[in-house]
Amino acid sequence: MVANDHVDFDAAEGEVHALLGENGAGKTTLSKMLTGLYRPDEGEIVLFGRTVEFNSPRDALDAGIAMVHQHFRLVSPFTVAENVVLGDERDVGRSFLLRPGAIEGRVGELSRRYGLAVDPRARIWQLSVGEQQRVEILKALYQDARILILDEPTAVLTPQEAEALFETIRAMAADGRTVIFISHKLHEVKAVADRVTVLRRGKSIATVAAADATPRSLAALMVGRELEAERRPAERGPVGEPVLKLDGVWADGDRGVPAVKDVALTICAGEIVGVAGVAGNGQRELAETIVGMRPLTDGAVEVCGRRLTGGDPREAISAGVAYVPEDRLGTGVAPSLSVASNVVLKSYRGSPVSSGPFLRFRRIRDLARGVIDRYDVRTSGPNAPAWQLSGGNLQKVVLAREFSGEPAVLVVASPTRGLDVAGIETVHSYLREAASAGVGVLLISEDLDEILVLADRVAVMYEGAVVGERVVGVATVEELGLMMAGAGSED
Amino acid sequence: MRIERRLRQPWWLTVVVPVVSIAVALVLSGVVLFLTGHPPLKSFRRIIDAAFIANGALTETIISATPLIFTGLAAAVAFRMNLFNIGGEGQLYSGAITGAAVGLLMAGSPSPLIFVGMIVAGAAGGALLASIPALLRAFFSTNEIITSLMLNYVVALVLEYLIFDSHSYLRDTSGFEANVFPQGKTLPDEATWSSWTIHGLVLPLGFLVALAVAVFVWVLYSRTRFGFEVQVIGDSTRAGRYAGMRTRRKIVAVMCLSGAIAGIGGASQMGDFRHQLDPRGLRDASYGYTGIVVAALARYNPFAVVLVALLIGGLTNAGFTLQGADFPAGLVGVMQGLILFCALGGELFVRYRVRFAW
Amino acid sequence: MNNSLVVVVLASGVLYGTPLLYAALGEVLAERSGVLNLGVEGMMLMGAVMGFWTVERMAGPTPLVLAAAIGVAALAGAVMAAIHAFLVITLRANQIVSGLALTIFAGAAGLSSYLGNDLNLAGKPAKHQFQEVFPTSWQDLPVIGPIVFGQSALVYASWVCVALVALYLTRTRLGLNLRAVGESPAAADAMGVNVSRYRYAHTLVGGAFAGVGGAAFSLSITPQWVDGLTQGAGWIAIALVIFAFWRPTLCLLGAYFFGAFTALPFALQGHGVTVAPELFQTLPYVATIVALVLVSSRAARLRFGAPAALGLPYVREER
Repeated sequence: MVANDHVDFDAAEGEVHALLGENGAGKTTLSKMLTGLYRPDEGEIVLFGRTVEFNSPRDALDAGIAMVHQHFRLVSPFTVAENVVLGDERDVGRSFLLRPGAIEGRVGELSRRYGLAVDPRARIWQLSVGEQQRVEILKALYQDARILILDEPTAVLTPQEAEALFETIRAMAADGRTVIFISHKLHEVKAVADRVTVLRRGKSIATVAAADATPRSLAALMVGRELEAERRPAERGPVGEPVLKLDGVWADGDRGVPAVKDVALTICAGEIVGVAGVAGNGQRELAETIVGMRPLTDGAVEVCGRRLTGGDPREAISAGVAYVPEDRLGTGVAPSLSVASNVVLKSYRGSPVSSGPFLRFRRIRDLARGVIDRYDVRTSGPNAPAWQLSGGNLQKVVLAREFSGEPAVLVVASPTRGLDVAGIETVHSYLREAASAGVGVLLISEDLDEILVLADRVAVMYEGAVVGERVVGVATVEELGLMMAGAGSED
Repeated sequence: MRIERRLRQPWWLTVVVPVVSIAVALVLSGVVLFLTGHPPLKSFRRIIDAAFIANGALTETIISATPLIFTGLAAAVAFRMNLFNIGGEGQLYSGAITGAAVGLLMAGSPSPLIFVGMIVAGAAGGALLASIPALLRAFFSTNEIITSLMLNYVVALVLEYLIFDSHSYLRDTSGFEANVFPQGKTLPDEATWSSWTIHGLVLPLGFLVALAVAVFVWVLYSRTRFGFEVQVIGDSTRAGRYAGMRTRRKIVAVMCLSGAIAGIGGASQMGDFRHQLDPRGLRDASYGYTGIVVAALARYNPFAVVLVALLIGGLTNAGFTLQGADFPAGLVGVMQGLILFCALGGELFVRYRVRFAW
Repeated sequence: MNNSLVVVVLASGVLYGTPLLYAALGEVLAERSGVLNLGVEGMMLMGAVMGFWTVERMAGPTPLVLAAAIGVAALAGAVMAAIHAFLVITLRANQIVSGLALTIFAGAAGLSSYLGNDLNLAGKPAKHQFQEVFPTSWQDLPVIGPIVFGQSALVYASWVCVALVALYLTRTRLGLNLRAVGESPAAADAMGVNVSRYRYAHTLVGGAFAGVGGAAFSLSITPQWVDGLTQGAGWIAIALVIFAFWRPTLCLLGAYFFGAFTALPFALQGHGVTVAPELFQTLPYVATIVALVLVSSRAARLRFGAPAALGLPYVREER
């Protein structure tokens, strides 16, 4: 599969150049070649006038190219300073020994200069996601990278933190560094970039000056046709009885500190309720508490009037709660097992899938084939291992399985992350279908746009609590963004 | 060299690779022999003769293989769910102790009853010991490799204490030598397990029990809900929890099953072969650790465990028989190690496709 | 007073603990890089046999011969470790099985036995042995005499090694890189640290240390060559690493703790005490289990626990 097809790209000193494209357009592949993780099959990279070849990340770093990935590459038990200086081989002879004082000093200097506030002595596991990102940027600056590549940096930031990041980017560009900013968010690209290159399906479509482009023109280039605003159906079916009721729910996070604080929420049959917020504000823990993968420390979760004791996934499943987790391959699916096995992952306990202690394999195969056909899952067969499936097809299998249990409540977390446009369409249509069928859908997503398109109501989570609930259509993006940053009004 | 994960594993690969691995290992062993001045082909011929062909060799091989089938199955059962139970050694000792105790206590009862009693006791002894690392793993996430390993030492010491230092029920305190050469009390005749002779080949009861356990494990793991849960949890514990499986209970159940099988192996050592607790002998035999090797070579398939146990048992048997000035001691360990190395290396080719850049 | 039970036990604790200490230091380095090597017993036995062989065959003044023997022992251990390293790093084999295979291959019924018997090394004491270094007057000092001054060069060298390894891990750049490789190989790789190279290097060095530990048996403690003379010391060393929370300084204390218990039966016999030693001897193992449980809570694991990537092969994400 060709990820980058004869892509021409150039960037100047002191320029902020955005790489725009949908998921799967080839942005990440291009950046991986620039940072030494992949080798180009054809073509060349010319750096400061000289052709270069990178065989490893080390080569790229030595040449002055650094990347801040979406998934941070930080060593959790180490301090900020230790992470920043890791692998640094400059002046090895002189400083075989670590000099923590000097390192911390330099880190402090850089963070002041570029507006990246963080304590050099803090350990990574103590930091918030936004702070960890700052450490990643400090790593690049410490190595005096002349070219920085930022991969979807605002995915984990509040709107206000994103503004601070743009300031940092402008400061770096003013220093003569080049910043390559990868994104699929049009308004950001407009806000910070000098030039924009649009990639679509592995090809470079156009390079335009940001000042000359509009969000609509950029979107058209990205998708190849005029974008129609996704229309919301004017009216959905009548809303029924409450199927999920959260009352004063508290739960602890992985570190023993409360991650869900006094959450109250009601979802009725046929409704889609969105939970918005920047990742890391308790959404994951809330989902896990509802579906029983995390114990409640206080409060109550009621499904169709029945109160759950909590902490037991089987109890939630039998009460009619279905869950499409954010971590598809690691939690929602057993990766080495076949598609067929994964289809019956929750239903294997009773008939018709098993009789007594024994499994009925023919039945399982038939069920799997049924799912593959009905949902058009692209796979070599029911026995193919799950890890072979693409993100979109995997999500189809998970959704199909969760629906087949005829749930009362469907909890989905970041369902369209990493999917391409077709995949996103499919998932959205399934969710609407579920709501029409009378299921109460809880949609947890970091993508505010997705929530605004799908949900009837939206609750915003910040630091574990619901800081506001609005009807979609009444709320403005600004208002929601402020709530996501903790600056909104308490209801 | 580039390594890519294979998309599909052709079935023949899972058979060809182990066979080729063994062949390569034999060649390497031959090289070692040659370099140290021993004739390779002649040595191999003597080994095969001593292991399988000579009069009574096959019987001896089955005797060596029986405990390995038990410990191999025990390891396979646990390793399939990514529970690395290294405690098979100690669990076998445990089963031997409880099995011997029952055998002694039930003196005078009819043999079939004693046989059943010893098996149950052996299983219970092994399971009980295995429950310690099991519970620690299930409830405290404590690494079972080290806890099960440590308990091997503890049980070995307890066993030595029982026979060499205490005046326990299990120790032979009669006779003049009892205080000078301590040894375990001999089990009564009725506690000797039967055996069947076919064409000069002696099949001990323990061997047949081992085969039955292999079949049981196969059915359990490939045809039942229990086995399905083991597969899922072994692949991804989170997915197992997500699916509503009781992962903690499963961990305890699988570890105890593993321990129970090793424990029955211990009881078999008492009932079939040794008829008294022999701490030094059991320790030198290393059945538990060798069982892990057997399981790994067999890629954790119960039936393959039986075959591999016979192979390794044959090698071990040959090692005993041929011990002497003109046969290199330690050759058995070398060959076993080489076979294992080659099998481990061969694994790569089953899972990945290797491309060399010219 | 120097003949009291306590002093004798402590002094023997240092003696018996020394091979454990060497092996544990080596295993700490390997495990900090993320490689679990269960083949320590095999590597020690190879070091023991090859070190003894050097002493038998080499002519020269004692210090030279002993130094050469230690070098050969270290080399033997490293060569064994190289097999394990190749299998688990390059070929991505299961680290537990590979380590066990190494123990079987090189261990008491394997290569070390093969070589020992073939080279006729059994049944005679070592021609050159490690002796006490300090004059007898120093050794007669109360309490610290036998414990501190009654030891051989190997013991003193081990103390230096502990200090060096501790400094290496905490104060050098290479040590920082090493710890990163063991905690988060992806992060280290992204920073240009060659994960494979670090793992190979430290696994081999680990093997070298284990080899030296084995030679401590055949050239100092026993000092003969017997098949399987380490008697499970390699396994104890593995437990010791965990007991010491992967820290070199705690390895020192732990090694002597375990060593004291190994020496206990002989010391007790020498004093006419007839309490069964076996039950005492279970204490170090039980203590290790307890230590492990204590470290298992999430918070403790962050501060004291195993390197996060221990036992897992590292694969740079290829398409």
